[in-house]
Amino acid sequence: MNRHLVGWMALFILLFWFGPALAEDSVCIQCHGGLEGRLGQPVAEWKQSIHEENGITCHSCHGGDPTDFAMAMEPERGFVGVPGNEEIPAFCGRCHVGVREDYEESAHGMALASGGPQCVVCHGNHQVVKASIDLINPESCSRCHSYDRAEKVKEIISETEARLQSLESSVASLHRVGIDVKALGGELFSTRNAFRQLFHTVNVDKLQQQKSAFDADLDGIGEQVSAIEEELAQRKLIGGIIVVLLILAGCVALLIRKTYRREEESGN
Amino acid sequence: MAQATEGSKERRTFLGVLLGGFSVVLGAAIGWPMFRFLAPQEGSGDAQQVKIPRDQVAVGTAHFFNYQWQPAVLLQPEAGEFIALSAVCTHLGCIVKWVNDEGEFLCPCHGGKFSAKGQVLGGPPPTALENYPVEIADNELLVG
Amino acid sequence: MKPQKIVMDWLDSRLGVSELLHQQLGGYKLPRNINIWYTLGAVIMALFGLQFLTGILLLVYYVPDTEKAFASVTAIMNEVPFGWLFRYLHVVCSNLIIVALLLHMLSVLYMGSYKRPRELTWVSGFTLLNLGLAFCLTGYLLPWSQLSFWATTVATDAAGAIPIVGEYLVSYMRGGPSVGAATLGRFFALHVLVLPLALMGLAGFHLFCVRRNGISQAPFGKDYRPRKPSAEFVHEEHHDGIPFYPNYTSKELAVIFFALAVLVFITFYAPWLFIPADALEPADPFSTPEHIKPEWYFLWAYQTLKIFPSKLLGLGVQVAAMTFIALLPFIDRGLERRPGKRPLFLTCYLLGLLIFVGISFWGHYS
Repeated sequence: MNRHLVGWMALFILLFWFGPALAEDSVCIQCHGGLEGRLGQPVAEWKQSIHEENGITCHSCHGGDPTDFAMAMEPERGFVGVPGNEEIPAFCGRCHVGVREDYEESAHGMALASGGPQCVVCHGNHQVVKASIDLINPESCSRCHSYDRAEKVKEIISETEARLQSLESSVASLHRVGIDVKALGGELFSTRNAFRQLFHTVNVDKLQQQKSAFDADLDGIGEQVSAIEEELAQRKLIGGIIVVLLILAGCVALLIRKTYRREEESGN
Repeated sequence: MAQATEGSKERRTFLGVLLGGFSVVLGAAIGWPMFRFLAPQEGSGDAQQVKIPRDQVAVGTAHFFNYQWQPAVLLQPEAGEFIALSAVCTHLGCIVKWVNDEGEFLCPCHGGKFSAKGQVLGGPPPTALENYPVEIADNELLVG
Repeated sequence: MKPQKIVMDWLDSRLGVSELLHQQLGGYKLPRNINIWYTLGAVIMALFGLQFLTGILLLVYYVPDTEKAFASVTAIMNEVPFGWLFRYLHVVCSNLIIVALLLHMLSVLYMGSYKRPRELTWVSGFTLLNLGLAFCLTGYLLPWSQLSFWATTVATDAAGAIPIVGEYLVSYMRGGPSVGAATLGRFFALHVLVLPLALMGLAGFHLFCVRRNGISQAPFGKDYRPRKPSAEFVHEEHHDGIPFYPNYTSKELAVIFFALAVLVFITFYAPWLFIPADALEPADPFSTPEHIKPEWYFLWAYQTLKIFPSKLLGLGVQVAAMTFIALLPFIDRGLERRPGKRPLFLTCYLLGLLIFVGISFWGHYS
């Protein structure tokens, strides 16, 4: 299943990403890549991240000039440096707008000033990978409170999550046999993002409420997928019949040939 | 000997008819798809037009609807001026939201911003939102 | 009077059709020991016929423009009724044609049928094989997918190995320094008109040669002895042979049906066999997919280029091999056609086959 997810991401990158996939190393990477310790570590971590896969590099978040060594970390070129603990949601939220909004309204967001968690606590800062439901686990969530709250949330979302995964894999399979899944895939992608964003409210009631809307969306997508799969199965059936007919026709032709053989052998 | 040839002639005729039957079926199996393949399709040519009642798009607001199986949006930034755009963000395909106070579109996924005309104002989207032709016909707006 | 008789009589008195038909069908005698390999010619013709048909159908909806090509193919696959069927038939059939061409060549080599007086049949046949490969190469580019774009880039690059004119040749083939709209334009013209005309002309000549010489006798059976070639033209007769029609045509029909069964089976149950994932993404000139490889019938060339340190050497080896095969009847002048009595030939034949298959597999897994 993971294989399909990666392929799916690759599909979207190739379908919608029009810029060069492999940029030349920025000055940030050129310098920090060769440093030891805490100044060099982010580069190695970032290289394994989903940001790197999508062409998001140092200056995309930290600002500064990626082409000029001298001015790379100057404020006048937009460099913002390392965000402080309470600045992190705004930092990540410059791109992840919806998530930031949901987070700020949530118990986590309200607790930020008194030591609550921000994005990096669960997602990491440079080695940010594709979000999965396993980010909610006892080790991570019991750092501040008992796990049972997190467990409740995980329970509510896990069914929908599982459905999302299975639909994504079905859509990838359909794409593999040449079906145009752009509209379908787009719908699924949007639904998945909206659903994952919603998690950040960590509000059991809200999640419970909205879950049915998402489930209905997934139902609709599931129906479309089933309809296509049914048609594909029908095609296979008809194809099978044609193959059998062709083999039978070939056999009949061979039998006709045989009737002439007797004549040939007996000297015409 | 004569009997053998007679029997074999009969068998040959039977097999010939059988083969003929198979060939007709197989011929139809390719002929029918060919016919349908070349036949004019319903609603083909270019895009199917969508009709929206004019009063659904008030001045300064945006109305979301479906166009060619994709989300689209109609807006009326100035009185009498109608714009129809695709509501699919050109970055990674999320659906954009209309922010009334700012008079612009915001994509909730990664903060992409588009003007009322669909031009990119900021954020990661590489190109403008696709524009669809709009015609005004009495109290209806014809998109496409 | 039966309607057929009326029509035949009418045509007969004007064009003498009955006599012609008798000469080419019932009166045309084939050697008694003819075997199933001789049906491959008819199979290839049937497959090419199907390819022309599906190609013409696709041509109705395909748009040869870099901005629209991929979308037009997607539309054929998803919106046009049975478009998916004709597209898949076209893809699978193109691969089967190459298989049939190779099998046909292998059987001709084995039976020594390329020898005098059939040298022209061989040369035209080998050229037809190359035309088939050219069809595949040009057709490949048309969907304008990632695979199309990059496989064509790799394939046209090979010519760059030729000294002095190499670079110019590559850009001439592409219509520019890199694969682009100009390449699509000329490949489309080649695929849709130039190559079909060349194929029909050359195949016509090939069939003429086959018929004019008379079908060769299979060199098997205890009574077979190699014929001495005569300085004057002679049509090989088989007076005690079997009539072409209906005795052998029924066999050809059977094998054609079986070949079509294979075609339809793959089309419905494994169409993705010949469509790698890269063929489903639109071309992106800025992003080279990893592991881009040509189709299986070009893997031998691809791997050969990789083996030799110098591209020129790699190309040279391939050209030498192809030239050798093309001129085989002029190199192998021995009269003997029985495989058992041609040990040197048989060794080279088996070695060549092993190398071809081995290098292709190597190319696939490397």
